[in-house]
Amino acid sequence: MTAGAEGLGEEAPALTYASVSGRTRRRLIFDRFIPWLLPLAFVVVLFPLFDMIFWVAQKAVPTFTLATLTETQVGFGGGLYSMILGTLVLIAIGTAIATGIGMAAGFYTAEYAPRPVATFGRLAGNILAGVPAIVLGYFGYYLLVLYTNWGFTTLAGGIVLGIFMTPYVYRTTDLALTSVPPTQREAALAMGARPRQYLLRIAFPIALPTVLTGIFFAMALGLGEAAPIVYTAGWSSTPITGLMQPTSFLTGAIWLFYDLPPSEGTLLTLAFQAAFLLILIVLGLNVIVQLLSDRFRRRLQGLFE
Amino acid sequence: MSAEGVPTPNGVALRVRHLYVRARDRTILTDISIDIPDKEVTAVIGPSGCGKTTFIRSLNRMTETTQGLTVQGSVLYRGQEIYSPSVAPVLVRQRIGMVFQRPTVFPISVYENVAFGLRLEHQPEDRIEQEVQHSLVRAGVWEEVKNDLDRPALSLSGGQQQRICIARALAVRPRILLMDEPTASLDPVSTQRVEATLEELSQEISIVMVTHSIAQAARASTRTAYLYQGRLIEEGSTEELFERPKQKLTEEYVTGRFG
Amino acid sequence: MALLPFLILALITGVLLNASALRNFGWSFWSFSYNFLPQTPDQSSWGIGVFVLGTALTAGLAIVFATLLSLALAVSVVVYLPSGPSRVLNMLTNLLAGIPSVVYGIWGFVILAPYFGITVEPTLRSFLFWLPGFGGPASAIGSWGILLAVFLLTIMIIPLTTALMRSALQSVPRDLVDSAVALGATRWEVARRVRFRVARRGLSSAVLLGLGRALGESVAVAMVIGGVTSLPVSLYSASTSLPSFIFFQLDSAFTYPDLLVLLVEFALVLLIITMVVNIIAQRLTQTELATATTVGTLVGREGELER
Repeated sequence: MTAGAEGLGEEAPALTYASVSGRTRRRLIFDRFIPWLLPLAFVVVLFPLFDMIFWVAQKAVPTFTLATLTETQVGFGGGLYSMILGTLVLIAIGTAIATGIGMAAGFYTAEYAPRPVATFGRLAGNILAGVPAIVLGYFGYYLLVLYTNWGFTTLAGGIVLGIFMTPYVYRTTDLALTSVPPTQREAALAMGARPRQYLLRIAFPIALPTVLTGIFFAMALGLGEAAPIVYTAGWSSTPITGLMQPTSFLTGAIWLFYDLPPSEGTLLTLAFQAAFLLILIVLGLNVIVQLLSDRFRRRLQGLFE
Repeated sequence: MSAEGVPTPNGVALRVRHLYVRARDRTILTDISIDIPDKEVTAVIGPSGCGKTTFIRSLNRMTETTQGLTVQGSVLYRGQEIYSPSVAPVLVRQRIGMVFQRPTVFPISVYENVAFGLRLEHQPEDRIEQEVQHSLVRAGVWEEVKNDLDRPALSLSGGQQQRICIARALAVRPRILLMDEPTASLDPVSTQRVEATLEELSQEISIVMVTHSIAQAARASTRTAYLYQGRLIEEGSTEELFERPKQKLTEEYVTGRFG
Repeated sequence: MALLPFLILALITGVLLNASALRNFGWSFWSFSYNFLPQTPDQSSWGIGVFVLGTALTAGLAIVFATLLSLALAVSVVVYLPSGPSRVLNMLTNLLAGIPSVVYGIWGFVILAPYFGITVEPTLRSFLFWLPGFGGPASAIGSWGILLAVFLLTIMIIPLTTALMRSALQSVPRDLVDSAVALGATRWEVARRVRFRVARRGLSSAVLLGLGRALGESVAVAMVIGGVTSLPVSLYSASTSLPSFIFFQLDSAFTYPDLLVLLVEFALVLLIITMVVNIIAQRLTQTELATATTVGTLVGREGELER
């Protein structure tokens, strides 16, 4: 009926851009226009990124020397040594705790826990990841500084940082194990492997790269946090010699020195140098994470396809 | 291959000439030339991986939604080269519709599903209402869903969903309907209904249907094309192709000796 | 073992509850009047209103802007841009997520604030004076205030919301997208009418998780919001927020036990709000994978997550 009305093979149908008008024409013009419009959002977002890196570098690099890394801040002078040391120790404690708790919990959630328990654990993990860092900070301050009578200690800072990092390690471990193709398990068990052997010899090696990326990711987040440690690790300009002392750390340097009067401008420079160093470390970790996941992805690609 | 404006004889819905489709690393379709007749059901058969799906997707420029595919050659729709740079793919697809392997209803009501294509053009509501009903009737599913138009389309059975999809494609009044294994995921009863719908529809429009079922091609089509490894081995009336295949490859396939 | 995260969560909540001893500051706790008098603590007023308002304003505006921008970014990457540029842009956006919040803070305080005061705010005022909040007087203390905090928060949560929206839009079945294309829909129409609708749970969850992040951000906000506990009169006013106030004041709380208790109640309120937001976000996705997806998308392993 409708087709017959015009008859195929007679005049050319209106298929060209030029042949349409009104509503259809507006639709086509809009479709041409919007791919140029939407990516403008990238300018809005990436401009701050570059501006930030540029300014931080500009304020930090001219005075950045080896001494910045090796000297301890004294008065208005010196370098970041004690803060770098403190950050390293804090992140080491944090990573140890987060890896221990996170991987163990992730392992059990993925492999052993009954379904409702696993679901509940995952929900709790996700909520824990959403707890504001400052709430963790208050928690740490009340429990590990006041209640224990430790006062400000590196250990307390490390523990709170560990709790902050835990959910990321936990969820990636769980995810990595649950996304191992089920055929692998069936094949292993069919060949007579015990569940434990399957986990250690097969599932874990497959999951390891994802777990590692999770750990590095958690480290990057932990490195940049100030809120959980400012009121647990306290502050001390001298390099630490033990875990039960307060310590300084890179993010703390920024928090303490950002708002000083101009007369104390050298400390502001130190804050920018700390910021510069943090950006470098975080970018480095990001690159590692990318390389790791690219490399392992290629190696494991066959498995996931 | 400039063929713009070349008149296509009456009774030919689509004229495909020297069509090549290439992915980055391989050639999927090689030198396909075929005339798709008007108001008939053309079945495209062949072993899996032979390029059947790519072939019908190249007929309404759906190949462009896959990154890395390049199309070379000519597809003439009523004398107009659809791959010409001045042609808007959106307009091609309004005239050459498509139905997919699995039912692909949107998570909205039955009514809104069928109205989807018309809403894009901001048609008046009374026109839409009329067209929705008419399309559902043509797709042979009106009687079953006429009281459930406001229900979510996803709550219907698979067979009904697939016919909703056919109705949705029909609502924009295409001249040609491309169907990619439209009954692959349906039970025998639904399959039968869809096939009956096809026969009705072919009174008005052309249908190109990919199928992996030789029996379905024999039952539901009047013409059949056999593709093998990206080449068109043979095409002709279904009866002839099944009873007196000219090519050995075709014979082996339709008699079930391989594939 | 699988319940370790829950136990930690319970421990945190328990410790905070214990610290507060659920001591009530009376009805005045829910008022807008906050005035802490260290010398005569009995006459202080402890209203949480100003803090809640500041938090809601900063986080609320930030999530509105972040949602719009993230949608544009996610649609660009998923629908329009070829895979090469998409990869680079995703990587750059993810870099934003890695930058420590103190660095955002010092950049905002030192670099952005003067620029906001001299250029941004007068421009906004002269063009948008008819919009509530945009016409008011400048901040009393330099250019630190709500607007700057909103800007920083927006940039800070965009990587998260973009990553989540990206994977929500990508998870729309190819068949559905193709069906809409075959009906003659343009790419934008496919995005708006099919992708947005099919992925709406994932998208809303992304917005809520972003909101949760914005609500809880303390350090960067503390550095740029000004820390003033009076009611804001415009978007340029200095203000305060729950997390930034806790972060600011924990120092002084060492000396004033009353303040310490007040802060823990603030912390509890904040904890409850963020928990509710996060739980709703989790419910929406139902895949129970929101955090993992976040991590996965941020480290670029989206492909495996979709399986």
